[in-house]
Amino acid sequence: MMNAPLTMPLLKIDNLRTYFYARSKQSFVRAVDGVSLEVGQRETVGVVGESGSGKSIAAMSVMGLIGPGPGVIGGSIHFASSRVQKNLLEGLDSFVKIEQENGRVMAVSKDEPGWQKASERLMSGLRGREIAMIFQNPRASLNPYITVGEQITEAVRLHTAHKSNKEARERAIHWLERVKIDSPRLRFDSYPSAMSGGMCQRAMIAMALSSEPSLLIADEPTTGLDATIQSKIVDLMEELKSETGISTLLISHDISVISRLADRVAVMYGGAVVEYGPARRVLDIGATIKHPYTAALLASVPSEQKIRDKAHLQTIEGDVLDTINVPAGCRFYARCNQITPEIYEKCASLHPELVEVAPGHQMRCWRYAVKA
Amino acid sequence: MSKTILEVKQLSKHFRRPRSLFSAFNRRSDTIPAVDNVSFYLRENETMGLVGESGCGKTTVARTVLRLTRPTSGSIIFDGRDITHLSDSELRPIRQDMQLIFQDLDASLNPKMCVQDILKEAVSVYENLSDAEAIVKSRMLLDQVNLKYSKLSSYPSELSGGEKRRVGIARALAVGAKMIVADEPTSALDVSIQAQVVNLLRDLQSQLGLSYLFISHDLQVVELMSHKVAVMYLGRIVEMGLTGRISGAARHPYTYILWSSLVEKQNREATQSGKIDRRAAWGVFDFERPSSGCRFAPRCPVYEQRGRPAACTDPENEPQLRDVGGGHQVACHFPLGS
Repeated sequence: MMNAPLTMPLLKIDNLRTYFYARSKQSFVRAVDGVSLEVGQRETVGVVGESGSGKSIAAMSVMGLIGPGPGVIGGSIHFASSRVQKNLLEGLDSFVKIEQENGRVMAVSKDEPGWQKASERLMSGLRGREIAMIFQNPRASLNPYITVGEQITEAVRLHTAHKSNKEARERAIHWLERVKIDSPRLRFDSYPSAMSGGMCQRAMIAMALSSEPSLLIADEPTTGLDATIQSKIVDLMEELKSETGISTLLISHDISVISRLADRVAVMYGGAVVEYGPARRVLDIGATIKHPYTAALLASVPSEQKIRDKAHLQTIEGDVLDTINVPAGCRFYARCNQITPEIYEKCASLHPELVEVAPGHQMRCWRYAVKA
Repeated sequence: MSKTILEVKQLSKHFRRPRSLFSAFNRRSDTIPAVDNVSFYLRENETMGLVGESGCGKTTVARTVLRLTRPTSGSIIFDGRDITHLSDSELRPIRQDMQLIFQDLDASLNPKMCVQDILKEAVSVYENLSDAEAIVKSRMLLDQVNLKYSKLSSYPSELSGGEKRRVGIARALAVGAKMIVADEPTSALDVSIQAQVVNLLRDLQSQLGLSYLFISHDLQVVELMSHKVAVMYLGRIVEMGLTGRISGAARHPYTYILWSSLVEKQNREATQSGKIDRRAAWGVFDFERPSSGCRFAPRCPVYEQRGRPAACTDPENEPQLRDVGGGHQVACHFPLGS
């Protein structure tokens, strides 16, 4: 399945910008603003951040699920599996015209049908087959009127060489078994309403994996599930990862889930990646080199020690970034508690770049940009 | 010792399944015992955590305790008064003292009312206030929950999750509640915002002497908030005691599994010992057909280890809560560590 050279990343997102255009405010909502990420072969990359940081929109941009409405997607998403190599955003820019006056956007016109058509052409044969996605709410993403087995069979017939109904059915049952659903033959004929949240999520994972994709995008796979079920879904994903070696882009705001599964972690804030590096280093609460936002995020998790002391939890003061009027300086400036007098001016007026602070560990902060 | 504000004795709430044409062919029973024989008490200025998986009856306990639904049997004594059989009009003055923070942020705030209107409605339920007085009072409430006055003119859709939660808390405080039932107040919030809400609830408790019945399936938050914890399984309390005992020295196998299934805890154990405790990997259960005897037996590892003792499945002998010392109660025939 994976015989592309290992040096080539499976997914390379470069300077992705997904802006939505708010007509009433005549300005862009910069949901994703310059994200660069790589997912290597057999690698799990975790994306953490608060709600509204652009995690899900980044994932949906990769899947080509951003609707044709007013908005712009810029940058490039290179996907290179053994079967397909292409830029998933090739030529989409040409459908959008932006009229600017003194750097201010006055009007955005977009050939929406053309854009949609081009986007579909780019994604056809990829979505579901090469890149599969599991969503946050498993119950809402399954069709309530069709049995779970039939939905998986449909995916199998659509995306794999198992075209006959009987063969596809066996394949679907095989996958239900793989995701450890009890008595898969019986459950094949269950409707989603008859299954628990955890089982629905297992069925979703079965469906996503049934086409043997090269890349799995998991958007908050454990959110909203009970603690006992969460840990079982995480167990399952860990097992499938080691068995199939599938590359995963894992999005979650649950830091414990990310630290269990991810090899590398990107921390997102206000549409941009602020820290990116090996999971062990990024999520180590005691590490000395740390982005102020990551540090604050880790500190707000109720840890064992804090529970014992009944201590106050550390919070991040202020609100999540307004993605319409993005400030000129660092996006975390208004909430940051580690600004020193030497870098104060830069923080307020200049957006820091991602700089390498250690091999493979990047940081978007003036504290480290100065030292480097 | 402070006063007991809420005492619940052998509370049960059974829901009736609607009868259909085919009921006669169905072997399912007609009633669903959502809450079965639950007893506990809550003191003033104390927080009691109620944990369990979804569907175990936590929210039904909350709603029944507040008399939003009528209990099937048992009694509820609030502030020294039996409120089990009070009529709606008799309950009305008592509702001032007990309030609920709802689970669903968006469903509990009217999208067409701005924060000012929402709070004004709440403060003027029991008092006849002029507009000016209502605004003064609303501002005081916003101060208490650390919201800016500028938010008074915002509509719920313009507020973030944490802000909506604060408005919900302010509304509960508006009538001067003594006891607040918080139903999943931190679910669906980011960790940083969850931390703000937890801090706020704890600050309010120490300032105003509130009592909380704190319902959540997030064990870490419950541990942080609560003085004591009750663990529910399929409508029953299976273990109850001081928070430290429940999280650190659980006697009921279910509690043990619940706490050991915390992903973070597993991570730490994995880094310490190199592998993960797989005792947490267990079968699926069925609400439709509760087993006879101990409800937890079909999923219980102790039941398997002990070679399926007959006591556990004896329908006459369902384990009852009994004291194992220090106010720690367990409903299990073979508690751990004995």
